[in-house]
Amino acid sequence: MTNQTETQASAAIKVEDLVTHYGSTRILDHVNMQVNTGEIMVIMGGSGSGKSTLLRYMLGLHQATSGSIKLLGHDITKISSQEMDDLRKNMGVSFQGGALFNSMTVGQNVCLPLHEHTTLDENTIQIMGRMKLSVVNLGGFDDLMPAQLSGGMIKRAALARAIVMDPKLLFFDEPSAGLDPVAAAELDDLILRIRKALNTTIVVVTHDLDSTFRIADRITVLDKGKILMIGTVEEVRNSDNERIQSLLNREARHVEINADEYLKELTGQKE
Amino acid sequence: MNNNSDSPVKFEIDDEQGYLVVRFEGEIDLYGTPHAREVILNCIKSKRNTVIDLSAVSYIDSSGVASLVEGYQLAKNDKLEFGLVNISDAVLSVLQLAHLDKVFTIHASLDERIQAS
Amino acid sequence: MIDKIVLRTFTEKLGKTTLRGVEELGYSIALLVESFYWLLFGFRRRQAVKLPPIFAQMMHIGIQALPIVTILAFAIGMMLAIQGIATLKTFGAESQVVLGIALSVTREFSPLIIGILVAGRSGSALAARIGTMQIAQEIDALRVIGISPVRYLVTPAMVAMLIMLPSLTFFADLVALLGGGVYSSLELGMSLQAYADRTIEVLKVEDITQGLYKSLVFAVIITLVSFVNGFSVTAGAEGVGKATTRSVVLSITYIIIADMVFTFFLTH
Repeated sequence: MTNQTETQASAAIKVEDLVTHYGSTRILDHVNMQVNTGEIMVIMGGSGSGKSTLLRYMLGLHQATSGSIKLLGHDITKISSQEMDDLRKNMGVSFQGGALFNSMTVGQNVCLPLHEHTTLDENTIQIMGRMKLSVVNLGGFDDLMPAQLSGGMIKRAALARAIVMDPKLLFFDEPSAGLDPVAAAELDDLILRIRKALNTTIVVVTHDLDSTFRIADRITVLDKGKILMIGTVEEVRNSDNERIQSLLNREARHVEINADEYLKELTGQKE
Repeated sequence: MNNNSDSPVKFEIDDEQGYLVVRFEGEIDLYGTPHAREVILNCIKSKRNTVIDLSAVSYIDSSGVASLVEGYQLAKNDKLEFGLVNISDAVLSVLQLAHLDKVFTIHASLDERIQAS
Repeated sequence: MIDKIVLRTFTEKLGKTTLRGVEELGYSIALLVESFYWLLFGFRRRQAVKLPPIFAQMMHIGIQALPIVTILAFAIGMMLAIQGIATLKTFGAESQVVLGIALSVTREFSPLIIGILVAGRSGSALAARIGTMQIAQEIDALRVIGISPVRYLVTPAMVAMLIMLPSLTFFADLVALLGGGVYSSLELGMSLQAYADRTIEVLKVEDITQGLYKSLVFAVIITLVSFVNGFSVTAGAEGVGKATTRSVVLSITYIIIADMVFTFFLTH
């Protein structure tokens, strides 16, 4: 019992019984998971496993069918949009393509959350922005436009924007996608450095195994909207689950064919 | 200079061995920074060598660090000394993240700082 | 059998199109309400609507459109004069052309031409910009930073449209009347001064305000159609192109239909 209260106290993110639909298709099916404070949780799975969907629901971008998502103790499926806005000040997100605003300089992008949410002096804001750019090794790039940066630089600038408010929760969507191995490894290093310095709770969605094994404390494996397993890197590596092993060994998926359904699908009679 | 009781940041200023020593207390975050910044900049404006003591600061966020940076630059412009003493590991790791441990002069105490110079 | 399938596909398509139409109408109304909510109450939630983006939009929608508006309005004024004089000549009533130009310009042509021009120039630009932001996840980025995309993007554009469309319409009134005057004075030998006096004599304030009210409705139509199409882009660069085209075509269609309805009620 004591053990349970302890784990609850340290839960930065707690997803309970989450069910979501896209149209009439069920995407996530009774998902339960917890991320502890200061932990790096990697969510992995093949394409179509629902890992990006899970992230989008954690970010409060969609309304769940049922279940709850607690961030820092607040259930985001129930709170008002104003409370959600306050909660967002404690959250940073690095999107797959960076999602920098193209009409602003890199510096303006990084400082935008500060301009919108704080009443700090402009000098303080500028220094904070440049400091965060220097954290991601982009010192001196604040006057450039996003279009002038390489893919890896854009991702790092997006990371600078994500951490400019010193968030307690940090989310990454496919951090290594589109990066060469060296740039991907640099980004992994950055993620580890940030966690070490700020004790940030970090959730990373990725299909990159090398990156997963470098940074993860624990791994959640999703498959077809359900959780296959949650465990440490060692536990996942040693799992004898067939699907997990095929994911780890990058084997092609077996195509499962249900004759009746397939026939209906081909003839367009499927509901 | 007195503590402003409304502010979440408390501080004390002592005149020790030719330095103004500012001892902050509490959390220097988005809410506390504007006040802490004012205190730091006022010390520099009074043309005194300044040392910031962070031993009683439980948490400093990047807005607080930004104010230290701003104070240091102003002090340098006026050829004044500006240093940090007594900083905790947590604060040090925040400084290290932005490579600022190589910028500030950091000492364990004021005495050590004076000996070093 | 084939007929059955064709019929089914047709009804399915019709159903889907209707559904999409109803959905978009609902979405538009929600956007309209929300954009005014932020304008009026944004400051209460520490998300006040800021002036610089409004000015930026006003520059693009209004100021930068001035040269083309001048050319279009002048040409339309002249065109009306040419047609008017030619038609009225058959009744020997050429001098009545002033009345014809004055009323049709202020009530009908200025707001309509400005509406169509802005839909093509700025509506398309808005839809393309929002669509591009949507596929680059910039809209999601705004939301996770805690910035309402409606407050940050829709409201400034809406305010700028509501200010600039009537302004452009009024400007077009003046230029079109001048265009009509120049041709009339050449053709009928009346002085510009006499033309101006006669125009002021026949024009009532209501004629001008009627056109301006129309332009306010057009402003709302262009803004909502552009944003609804921009926000609903999902599939890459091609999607942006489609949304842009669709928003221009729909804006112009709605503008002309709204104009007809408006004119019917105002003349009854």
